[in-house]
Amino acid sequence: MLTAIVLLPLLGFVLNGVLATQLGGNRVGKPFVVVVGCGLPLVAFALAVKALFDLQHANYAPLVEIVYRWATIGDSPFEIAFYFDRLTAVMTLIVTGVGSVIHIYSVGYMAHDRSFGRFFAYLNLFLFFMLLLVLGRSLLVLFVGWEGVGLASYLLIGFWFDDLANARAGKKAFITNRIGDAGFLLGMFVLYQALGTLDMDRINAAFAFTGSAAPAVSASLVGILLFIGATGKSAQIPLHVWLPDAMAGPTPVSALIHAATMVTAGVYLVARMSGVYLQAPEASAVIAIVGVATAFFAATIAVVQTDIKKVLAYSTVSQLGFMFLALGVGAYGVAIFHVVTHAFFKACLFLGAGSVIHALGGEQDVRKMGGLARRIPITFLTFAVATAAIAGIPPLAGFFSKDEILWYAFASKQGGSPLLWVVAAATALMTAFYMFRLLWLTFLGRSRMDHEVEHHVHESPWSMTGVLLLLAMLSAVGGFIALPHFLEPQLPLPTVHESLHHFETPLLVLSVVLALAGLAGAAVLFGGPPERAQALQERFAGVHRWLSGKYFIDELYERVIGRPLVWLSDRVFLNLSDRWLLDGTLNGMGALGRWGGGVLSRVQNGSLHRYAWFVMMGIVGALLWSWRHV
Amino acid sequence: MDRTQLLIGLAMALFSIGLLGVIVRRNVLVMLMCMELMLNGVNLSLVTFAQQTATTVGAVLVFLIFVVATAEIALAIPIVLLLVRGKRTLKLDAYNDLKG
Amino acid sequence: MNYLLQNLETLLLLLFGLCALVGAGLMIVLRQPMRVALALVSTMIFLGGIYGLLGVHFIAAFQVLIYVGAVMVFMVYVIMLLEVREATGAKYSALLVPGIVGFVLVLGVIVIGIWRAVPAPTGAAGNGAYGISTFAVSFLNEYWLHFELTSVLLVAAVVAAMAVIKVSRAADRKGRHG
Repeated sequence: MLTAIVLLPLLGFVLNGVLATQLGGNRVGKPFVVVVGCGLPLVAFALAVKALFDLQHANYAPLVEIVYRWATIGDSPFEIAFYFDRLTAVMTLIVTGVGSVIHIYSVGYMAHDRSFGRFFAYLNLFLFFMLLLVLGRSLLVLFVGWEGVGLASYLLIGFWFDDLANARAGKKAFITNRIGDAGFLLGMFVLYQALGTLDMDRINAAFAFTGSAAPAVSASLVGILLFIGATGKSAQIPLHVWLPDAMAGPTPVSALIHAATMVTAGVYLVARMSGVYLQAPEASAVIAIVGVATAFFAATIAVVQTDIKKVLAYSTVSQLGFMFLALGVGAYGVAIFHVVTHAFFKACLFLGAGSVIHALGGEQDVRKMGGLARRIPITFLTFAVATAAIAGIPPLAGFFSKDEILWYAFASKQGGSPLLWVVAAATALMTAFYMFRLLWLTFLGRSRMDHEVEHHVHESPWSMTGVLLLLAMLSAVGGFIALPHFLEPQLPLPTVHESLHHFETPLLVLSVVLALAGLAGAAVLFGGPPERAQALQERFAGVHRWLSGKYFIDELYERVIGRPLVWLSDRVFLNLSDRWLLDGTLNGMGALGRWGGGVLSRVQNGSLHRYAWFVMMGIVGALLWSWRHV
Repeated sequence: MDRTQLLIGLAMALFSIGLLGVIVRRNVLVMLMCMELMLNGVNLSLVTFAQQTATTVGAVLVFLIFVVATAEIALAIPIVLLLVRGKRTLKLDAYNDLKG
Repeated sequence: MNYLLQNLETLLLLLFGLCALVGAGLMIVLRQPMRVALALVSTMIFLGGIYGLLGVHFIAAFQVLIYVGAVMVFMVYVIMLLEVREATGAKYSALLVPGIVGFVLVLGVIVIGIWRAVPAPTGAAGNGAYGISTFAVSFLNEYWLHFELTSVLLVAAVVAAMAVIKVSRAADRKGRHG
């Protein structure tokens, strides 16, 4: 049955990919695409729910399905096997559930696109790979899914590839991912060499031993290497540069891949390998620091962005930083909880942004929006709920997960410290601020839209608004699931310093205060006349320029890495090795042959005298040769 | 030095002189005559050995060489004539059209 | 006198051999082709004399008859036909020096080779002489096949000569009318 969950989207990809695209001659119409493209993921979701019940029935003993023995190298078998336990159940439900509703949303959003069938085929392909990733038992199967989602992301970011900028963004995403994958592969090699297996449950069990029975490899080394892979996939510093550019893809893609599921694959990997990270305090410290630094850094950039999707992109990077912070201090279950709530409200935000863009006929610059609240009320309502959720206003979902992260960042015995809490809290303040800024600039205040755009503003169809309502509802009540306790038997919550227990309630109150402060700040600056924000921007013009340029990191990479690499390829490999050395050698041999031929051909100058002289010399030689035997 | 060695030495000397003539003389007809000289040298060596045995096989071979030489010269000279008719000179240096 | 008469054969052999060599040497040196032809004729006649001294008189007769009487006559005829005077220009080709060097080498190698190993004769030169009747009988009995093949060769030569004439006539006609 687990196999069915994985294969159904693949079937959808094949059917739509062959029949509904130019490849198969556009044989089927939109209804077929919709039924196959949305129906199969919904069936997969139903099967995932059933699998959860089966798991419950079996007292939460993990379900294992071995599908195919791929290879046997030495005495270790490599199998394609699926593994279903609590963590997998959560991830599978999110992937298929949120994935299915985004498919339904796309029916409305992409209705006028000429590559309708291709879009759904790619979306189903992505689902297949993502399910392979979360259901895989061995790191190899996970890696296949890892690479596959990278491929699907590339295909979908560059979906409108007629525009070269989109294709370049897709390329950037894929290449940055691959750089992280180098670390991932090294981690896999080290693990295999030390333990002889890549099955994750076996690896976790092996690392549970300490002392003489412990594995022969440093857990921190493995942890850092795997984290490098996670950095690439989940857009942490320094490999975060692809995620903002990935907004070039259609909005459902941004919602599904770059908010709810693919970017959380890194978080899932670390949580799944918790057995390793529990024994690796240095690696965990690195993860926590990188996570909180990324969160802070991305939040500062989001404050000044003017494209509605870019704000949400940097917000995603920031929230992912929060998740890694939780992982770094040992609160694996809390990080997964934040994954779930983030999937709800970030998908809602992205789809809401898509609805706004759809209503405005393609406009994405918030400086040209405003006053939309009355024109597109459902979108505004759902967007507002999701914004409140991400800001951490109780009792919405984001409040619960973010507050737990902040608490463990402060108090966990496995690496929590007040410094982490301070940076994280500052980030939470900025999160609330920029999200409400976005809400105000987009929906409230006076309209700054172009007149023709303003005439055509209309609410989105039910396929889109229905999904928005569903996701907003989940953002509102999703916090009460108490996921960390559900996951606790598998992913234990970290122990907390006894002396710090009495800080718990004050910190809770403080985080609510910070959220409301962000809301208030945004209301003051952006709710009134635009000159207030303008004056602030001019006061801090230098900082503003620095933030708008995203700290000029892309330019730095270009100058430090890109240009030397291009120089190396051009000068050394192309000119020197390929042209001069290889071509030169081959052409030189040809020239040598021709020169030799030219020299030898001078023997034949047509003079019979010379030929006869050669006969004479031949006779001399033959006679001398015959003397050997005399 | 007995007679056989003397005669063979003479035969080989005639052969070498003929070969030298082919190499150093320019006139085509003279070169042909030098080739006849070479044949004669070889003939002499053949006769020397032939008449030492009791059988007639050597003499038969000598006779056949006479016939072949005659046939060869009967054709070689007309060929030279035709060539000369084209180029109008008997110098071998003119006949190097087949150079490489 | 006695010495002369006792070793007459050997002396005559030496004399004839020397004269043949002189004739051959003259062939290289003389400028005019007619004179070269005459030098060759003299060499051939002296060779015939050597054959006679060796006892194979019929071969000597053949030498003079065929070589001098047919081949050299033809040669002389052609020289006269082409009216070759050969007075101008260099006498020798470009390869004079290499030729002489090669000549010395060849001669040296051959002579040294002969000096070192000459197969032991079954009889001294001039011992096993036989006459024309012996020759004729064995030629037409045992070696009749070679005789017939020789005829074939001569027929082929005649055919080739006629073909040459035809080709040359065709070339002439094309040259004149084309």
